Amino acid sequence: MKKYALLFLLLFQLANATEKDSLNTVNPFVKYHSFLEEEDFCDACGCSASGGSMGFTSMLNSNFVGIRYFNQQYKSMDGLYSNSPWYKENFNTVQAWGRIPVSETVQVSALIPYHFHERETATGNKSINGIGDITVLAMYRLYQTHKDSTFLVHTLQLGGGIKAPTGKFNEANSGSINPSFQVGTGSWDYLLATEYVVKRKQFGLNFMLNYVIKTENQKNYRFGNQLNYAGTFFYLYEKNSFSIVPQLGFAGEVYESNYQHNQKLKNTNGDILFGKIGLEVGKERLSFGANAMLPINQNLTGGNVEANYRWSINLNYSL
Amino acid sequence: MKFQLKNILAVLAIAITMFSCSNDDNEAITGEGNLKLEFDNTYKTADFAMNTNYTNSNAEVVAVSKAMYIVSNIVLTKEDGTTFTYPKSQSYFIVDEATPATLVLNLSNIPAGNYTKVKYGIGVDKTQWEAGATGQGDFLAKAQTAGMMWSWSAGYKFVAFEGTFTSSTVSTAKQFKVHTGQTGTDYNYTEVTLDFPKIALVRTTITPQVHIMADLSQLIDGANKISLSEAATVMGGAKLALVTANVSSMFTIDHVHND
Repeated sequence: MKKYALLFLLLFQLANATEKDSLNTVNPFVKYHSFLEEEDFCDACGCSASGGSMGFTSMLNSNFVGIRYFNQQYKSMDGLYSNSPWYKENFNTVQAWGRIPVSETVQVSALIPYHFHERETATGNKSINGIGDITVLAMYRLYQTHKDSTFLVHTLQLGGGIKAPTGKFNEANSGSINPSFQVGTGSWDYLLATEYVVKRKQFGLNFMLNYVIKTENQKNYRFGNQLNYAGTFFYLYEKNSFSIVPQLGFAGEVYESNYQHNQKLKNTNGDILFGKIGLEVGKERLSFGANAMLPINQNLTGGNVEANYRWSINLNYSL
Repeated sequence: MKFQLKNILAVLAIAITMFSCSNDDNEAITGEGNLKLEFDNTYKTADFAMNTNYTNSNAEVVAVSKAMYIVSNIVLTKEDGTTFTYPKSQSYFIVDEATPATLVLNLSNIPAGNYTKVKYGIGVDKTQWEAGATGQGDFLAKAQTAGMMWSWSAGYKFVAFEGTFTSSTVSTAKQFKVHTGQTGTDYNYTEVTLDFPKIALVRTTITPQVHIMADLSQLIDGANKISLSEAATVMGGAKLALVTANVSSMFTIDHVHND
């Protein structure tokens, strides 16, 4: 079975590779002195550990490999003038991801993103593309109630991981433009994660919280530490070999200030809260998921960046 | 179970080891580097554009066609309070909105250090002018070419601000000219001192860029209000001292890059 899974993953990677070649990739996040790091939210681990899709897969089967595409839409301005123009930013990521058990209670997740971002500027569209920062995360199941013995089934997991600077950090982008217009932070970053799931019959709630500790990269730039949280309410409908899981929830991110040469950069901190809706459909070992996120409240980089929406689709194969 | 715990401990150990790594940033600061002073003209808070209508607080609508000023005598102050005076012979610049290359002053051969403030003059100081035509080096020719001199005896124009305006009493666009420089009673050279919001780290490998906002509206619509309807040509008399006073408050520093 594992052989098939590997083959499957490989095929997706090949498909991904051809897609790269055919797409015009540009890198999108440019702002003056403010740097935001939206694009790294997902490769950092936010999406992977979030209630949405992971909650579902962990219900049917907590172990899978798959491919995911996500799109993030922003607009930003330099914040220098009252009449600074707003520019659209379009971030795209294709990600190979998987969650593989190494023992009864320990699972290892890996995320390998490829970014192709673009943004408008006064002098035309700019783009960046390339492999992003690879994240490896180990989750340890600290507590789980036995399914048949209790009214509510609880699962609590704790974990930690590392994000490697496999994506290229471009200092030129960080200086005069939005530093978040990057495919990587250029730094070794660490994450601490926790996930809690409580289920009652077909209903469930998934909460996740994680904190990303970012270090200074070789260009003496350090992105601010980041707190991600999410809560998802889901319902599992199963019939024959089909399963359908509608989901509704919220997700938020809090960014601390970025630093350069140990000096705090103004207007680089911020926070955002999204509402999200999603659906996952599974048949036998294959599952397809889609979800959309709309901001409810936000204050990113002193108001110089606004998130419009995010959406993602994924195809997973249970191990 | 034991096996898993071992794994977790291993991961934790690796993580802690990596956290423990720290850069040693305390290397000696030696050598010389460069620093850029960027002058970004605005009109009030808007990004300034030539020949665009702006309304002043006295309801006059101005469209500016020329915005030039002389920046001189740059002095940088270090964290420890010591100063570095940019060589006087190289310390005269003409900032001209119409010529983008002039908006960034590239200062070179600056001793590496942590700088916290900058001081510069607007105009040409009296001592320099008194050095006579031969004492001006090539700046005299530069100023003449740029139209920033009246005549040698009358001296330099420190600020040249021109365009057209309309108001409640002036219905068809009328030309205005505001030039500062010496008058019979006032010399009108003024100095500006600005603190950096962040330390400018001049290194052999880092060229800080200081982003200075210059609010052109302040020239005539600052603390002192200059009515163009009353007199469209302001080149002398007591009003120049008022414009000069406005000049000293038109500059602010938005940010400093250390790239």
